[in-house]
Amino acid sequence: MLWIAIRMLTGDAQKFYGLLFGIAFSTLLITQQLTIFVNLIERGASGVYNAPEAEIWVMDPVSRTTDVNYAMPSTALDEVRSVPGVEWAVPHLRAAASVRTGSGDLEGVAIIGVDDATLIGLPERLVEGDKKILAQPDTVIIDDGGVVNLFENGEDPIGQRLELNDQRAVIRGVADSIPSFTSQVTLYTKYSQALNFVPGTRNRLTFVLAGVSEGLTADEVAARIEEQTGLKAETREEFADAGVNFIIENTGIPTNFGITVVLGFVVGVAIVGLTFSLFIRDNIKQFGALKAIGVTNAKIVRMVGAQAALVGTVGYALGVIGTVAFIYAFSGNPFFKGFYIPWQIPLISLVSVIIILAITGFIALRSVLSTEPAAVFR
Amino acid sequence: MSILPKNVSFSRQVLPILAVIGLVVAALYIFTDLPDRSTSEPEQQPPKATGDLANSPRVAGTGLVEPSSEIIDIGSALSGLVTDLRVRPGDRVEKGQPLFLVDDRAARARLAEANAAISEARAAIAEAQAAQRTASQQLALYDNLDDPAAVSRAEVIRAEGDATAAQTRLELARARLSAAQAQAGSARTELGRLTVRAPITGEILAVNIRLGEFVSTQGGSSDPFIQMGETTPLHVRVDVDENEAVRVKLGADAIVSPRGAADIRANAKFVRAEPLVVPKRQLTNSAAERVDVRVLQIIYALPQSDVFRVGQQVDAFIPAAEAAGEEE
Repeated sequence: MLWIAIRMLTGDAQKFYGLLFGIAFSTLLITQQLTIFVNLIERGASGVYNAPEAEIWVMDPVSRTTDVNYAMPSTALDEVRSVPGVEWAVPHLRAAASVRTGSGDLEGVAIIGVDDATLIGLPERLVEGDKKILAQPDTVIIDDGGVVNLFENGEDPIGQRLELNDQRAVIRGVADSIPSFTSQVTLYTKYSQALNFVPGTRNRLTFVLAGVSEGLTADEVAARIEEQTGLKAETREEFADAGVNFIIENTGIPTNFGITVVLGFVVGVAIVGLTFSLFIRDNIKQFGALKAIGVTNAKIVRMVGAQAALVGTVGYALGVIGTVAFIYAFSGNPFFKGFYIPWQIPLISLVSVIIILAITGFIALRSVLSTEPAAVFR
Repeated sequence: MSILPKNVSFSRQVLPILAVIGLVVAALYIFTDLPDRSTSEPEQQPPKATGDLANSPRVAGTGLVEPSSEIIDIGSALSGLVTDLRVRPGDRVEKGQPLFLVDDRAARARLAEANAAISEARAAIAEAQAAQRTASQQLALYDNLDDPAAVSRAEVIRAEGDATAAQTRLELARARLSAAQAQAGSARTELGRLTVRAPITGEILAVNIRLGEFVSTQGGSSDPFIQMGETTPLHVRVDVDENEAVRVKLGADAIVSPRGAADIRANAKFVRAEPLVVPKRQLTNSAAERVDVRVLQIIYALPQSDVFRVGQQVDAFIPAAEAAGEEE
């Protein structure tokens, strides 16, 4: 009997593909927009993810994110090291600077100073070069997104000389890092070197990165640091969330993407609802005949359910495949670098598809259920 | 639908199967593409407190290695060209050993002059003595005459005058001799001052002068000429933030690691805490830096080891005192 329902559904190819298109389109819209949205706001946490060793970030109480920060006196490092449960602590400097390229262009860059001795704070992998290269004088490592921004004509960045705060800086490596929200050029260098590159203010130490002793959790140690030093200590997850929340609070991005997602839902409901209702109305005679031969209402509901399930599965699959293909196709583009599809998002769109089909199916069914067998003769 | 066999429907069979396969592929892609957000262990070990200190109250500080005598900047008493340099960096010297000589030609010339003046004065003394002898003999001769008329009164007065003059000349010559001797002494002292000697037994840490260079006693010039200090044992001067200073357990040993070699952990013995809390000076890279942080400086003696050098930065961990107030 369900097979009859499927035949009924696919009998009219136009309406069948119309339904598929509606579901696929709204799935694509919802999944793809949510994916881009999530990845875009996660860019706010890229600074945290680019320093893979740090379990705790310690900062001045007024600092909010990796980029919105306020420097501390340099003895803050010793204060953090004094806290029991802190396995290690290293200085970390993040500051903005202007760079003059060889061709004379001016470009705003983010300078990141990592601990001189251990290089904690560098991204895990380098595309080109070795981390040890930072031991050479005046060395900076540029991020791969920055290569595109700074060397638009496709020059090789390695060996290029820059001018930073009247100092010479030589690019000797390219880091494999997640770009920041603003896709700013990022230069990694040693802490002591960074102090020279950034115009001088009194306090320069923006963050202290800390590790946690074995047997303790990051939360416990962060609480201890806050209690003993009066500084703000956040675990990696908290600080990543802080970066994301900062973007949510300070930009119109959530509203924009939210509107698009709602539009996807509305378009889905409209197209699918309309097509489904038309399809049911066209087949009202067949339903009447089925009723005439004694098919119960429950069975008819199951039949329509089967039709909806087929349309939903195929349409949803097409939408998800479309999103995956989109992300895959653009994975080479520096703007989309590091974009991924969080596994929750396809589930969200699945739920949306089910809701769309449930609403439209219910509306379409109402007329069928009230149909009398005599309808077959009309 | 002629491509497909007759009993296979595209929309009823092929499409759903394709859709399911696509969904599985998409799910695989999504799950393999999830980003790695795990933390990783540092490749190089950062400095850390170990042993009992790892999980107990402690105070961390950064320090600078220095000689136990502190660094002595050797100066020169007199300006001049360097004519001889007797030490090289790394040499061990005894107290009083010459370090370098400053051009002494002028002083030596003055000494020769003074010596000549001494000889001259001696000759003058001899001459004066001879004259005095002659004059006194003459006078004695006149005195012994029984007949007062044998010599005129004027002759006697002249002889008496000659004797007195000769005596005065002798005194003058003697005074000239001691003046010349004093001059010679002063020239010798100056010669001595032109040789710069080690004030203590210790090691030469830096030599900033070379043969032929001019050393000036005028202040304001840059480098000290020679730096030395007693390097057995070495001391380390640890800066502790004034906010943390109250927690330090004075008298306890500290764990000290050189920069970049955190796996080396030396046990340093407490020596003293400086009575004066000073603005934080070391470990900054900017000459224009203003400071509002003050630090307590605590001195520890390092054990004998090759890894520490004077002027090196170290990370130190010191046990904290169990403050009564902290425990509620």
